[in-house]
Amino acid sequence: MEGIFANLGIGFTEVFKLQAITVAGMSMTLPFNILMCLIGVLLGTLIGVLPGVGPVATIAMLLPITFNLNPIAALIMLAGIYYGAQYGGSTTAILVNLPGESSSVVTCLDGYQMARRGRAGPALATAALGSFFAGCVATPIVAMFAPPLAEVALKFGPSEYFSLMVLGLVAAVVLAHGSLVKAICMVLLGLMLGLVGTDVNSGVLRFAFGVSELADGIGFVSVAMGMFGLAEIVGNLEQKGAREVFTSKVTHLWPTRDDFRRIVGPILRGTFLGSALGILPGGGALLASFGAYTLEKKVSRNSAEFGKGAIEGVAAPEAANNAGAQTSFIPLLTLGIPSNPVMALMIGAMMIQGIAPGPQVMTERPQLFWGMIASMWVGNLMLVVLNLPLIGMWIKLLTVPYRILYPAILLFMSIGVYSLSNNPFDGLLMAVFGLLGYLCVKLECEPAPLILGFILGPLMEENLRRAMLLSRGDALVFFQKPISASFLIVSIILLVIIALPNLRKKREEVFVAEV
Amino acid sequence: MIIRNPKDFWAGVMFVTFGLGFVIIAAGSPEMLDKLFGAKLIPGYQMGGAVRMGPAYFPVLLGGLLALLGAIILLRAFASRMKGEAVRVHLPFNIVDLAIGLGLFALLLKYGDTLKLSNDYAMLAAALVVAVLAIKFRPDAKPLVLILAGCLVFAYTLKPLGLVGASLLLIFISAFGGHEFRWKEVSILFAVLIVFSVLVFVKGLTLPFPVCPSIIDNCPIR
Repeated sequence: MEGIFANLGIGFTEVFKLQAITVAGMSMTLPFNILMCLIGVLLGTLIGVLPGVGPVATIAMLLPITFNLNPIAALIMLAGIYYGAQYGGSTTAILVNLPGESSSVVTCLDGYQMARRGRAGPALATAALGSFFAGCVATPIVAMFAPPLAEVALKFGPSEYFSLMVLGLVAAVVLAHGSLVKAICMVLLGLMLGLVGTDVNSGVLRFAFGVSELADGIGFVSVAMGMFGLAEIVGNLEQKGAREVFTSKVTHLWPTRDDFRRIVGPILRGTFLGSALGILPGGGALLASFGAYTLEKKVSRNSAEFGKGAIEGVAAPEAANNAGAQTSFIPLLTLGIPSNPVMALMIGAMMIQGIAPGPQVMTERPQLFWGMIASMWVGNLMLVVLNLPLIGMWIKLLTVPYRILYPAILLFMSIGVYSLSNNPFDGLLMAVFGLLGYLCVKLECEPAPLILGFILGPLMEENLRRAMLLSRGDALVFFQKPISASFLIVSIILLVIIALPNLRKKREEVFVAEV
Repeated sequence: MIIRNPKDFWAGVMFVTFGLGFVIIAAGSPEMLDKLFGAKLIPGYQMGGAVRMGPAYFPVLLGGLLALLGAIILLRAFASRMKGEAVRVHLPFNIVDLAIGLGLFALLLKYGDTLKLSNDYAMLAAALVVAVLAIKFRPDAKPLVLILAGCLVFAYTLKPLGLVGASLLLIFISAFGGHEFRWKEVSILFAVLIVFSVLVFVKGLTLPFPVCPSIIDNCPIR
């Protein structure tokens, strides 16, 4: 226990550290990291509030800003962008009934109804307070669970890693909406796209069609921006029909005493459920918010009110998705395995900064590791302190019509993509993946599993090769090592359970009927 | 045989195409085809064995699996019991249009190459021609086509036209893809955005972008 506080101490010192920096020719001493956290949180909220822009698109769009920073500041800023985006997303969900991403779909259900009844203020405040409480609990949980897990992970060989990645991908498939087989196909497609470029073992250029820009592989940011950003914009443009924004009705923010009494339980339950579900590979915010809402609907005394503006229906999923968002950093920081597309982007960002994600990060770069964890708490505090007073500004932003927003979003995305390597080719890639993403959405194939597969493709091949080399070509090695075998068995059980007709119906209910 | 679920059918087609494509490129063209043409069509990569996997091993494994699962989705589309709106594909174009569009794009690129046009201008010309034709014949595809074209145009005009010219094109092209287009509004939007981008990205983040078109020698901002 004491170790955790000592470690968090390292983290907080790092976050508040004064650094001498040069801005516009003047050198100053500033608490640079905390400043970056603040900017990240603000920018994240700003972009996340924009309707139809979820955390993935937000992070992808803002990623280039972090290129010139040192790794610690960059990752702290990115984490800030993530919470900011998520928080901004719930504001949009409550006021416009437009979820920026799947995890705020649940917040729409009751949040929007509350707004329609003129209680948008308390709904927004509940979301903020719930998220903050969840953040306060989840940060120590991350600090507590990450070190032992990293220690276990250090003992992992290639076969364990391979099986773990299989488990992560299977979990992502299970959580995807709609058809199971289609989701598996998207994972496979992603894995293969990840293989494009130079094969590290043989030096052979694979699937590059003579394009020299593809030698280093397909740029991850272009894929993410195309599949999530462009496809999203086109989808929004094709949809006709006006949005209803509740702006004038946000008068009082603070929840009443009765409200407070009603939200304490849901926030507590949501936080713990969210923290637990977030750690699972493939989990994270989405599963957490769905799970918390369903649980609350079952146990609440006011369950009849759910779907008609129950404050519990805002508190529980908001607490859960923030807790889940934070604990999903555990598999990323300890195993180097992303559990959702946002974490996949984080891995991309770490690699750009020259850090190989994995269990060694904690021992080799304790400042970075603990600084990032400490910044999570600081970032959450900033969100509450800043956003409750700033809410008027975010609401103004919501009244900006989409026809003005989307050219601006496109411009920032294009600038961001171009700045990756100062090469127009990345813009072409983004357009190509925009088309693919558009087709996938139309054919009801979810893009999230593809992104995960894309990140894991090269890692999986590498570990598969090593494991098979060590076992002299015996594929049974994956079942002979106990840890590896248990990962695979869990994956198989998950797939079988999901394929059972009874549960399949249940799963579809959770994803479809709730919405 | 009636396709009862077009969504599944076309998703299946897409996955089978990708799967087989990857397998063939990785493993090389099948011998039957080679004999027919009298030459090795696609050389492929080294397969290797389970102990020492060559560059083709993992892709063939994945591609094969993808093609197999894609085929299952495809076949399932004939037996689907879902009806009506749930299975309809709402696309503003059909597969033939898509093939023609992509084919034309590739052809124009290739033709631009033979004309000794620089790659960037060939790309621009191809994007322009395909976009205009698409809007002419498939007006419902306007948002998609113009958004994609806007991104391409921005990327390939940034060097010759600078940030000012490239963003002007991107903003006007993409704004034209929306429901309503107002000259005045879009012009103001452009003015605000360009000032913001120059200040934040070029001045603030020091991204090495040219601001003015390259024909202007002494650009006031650099």
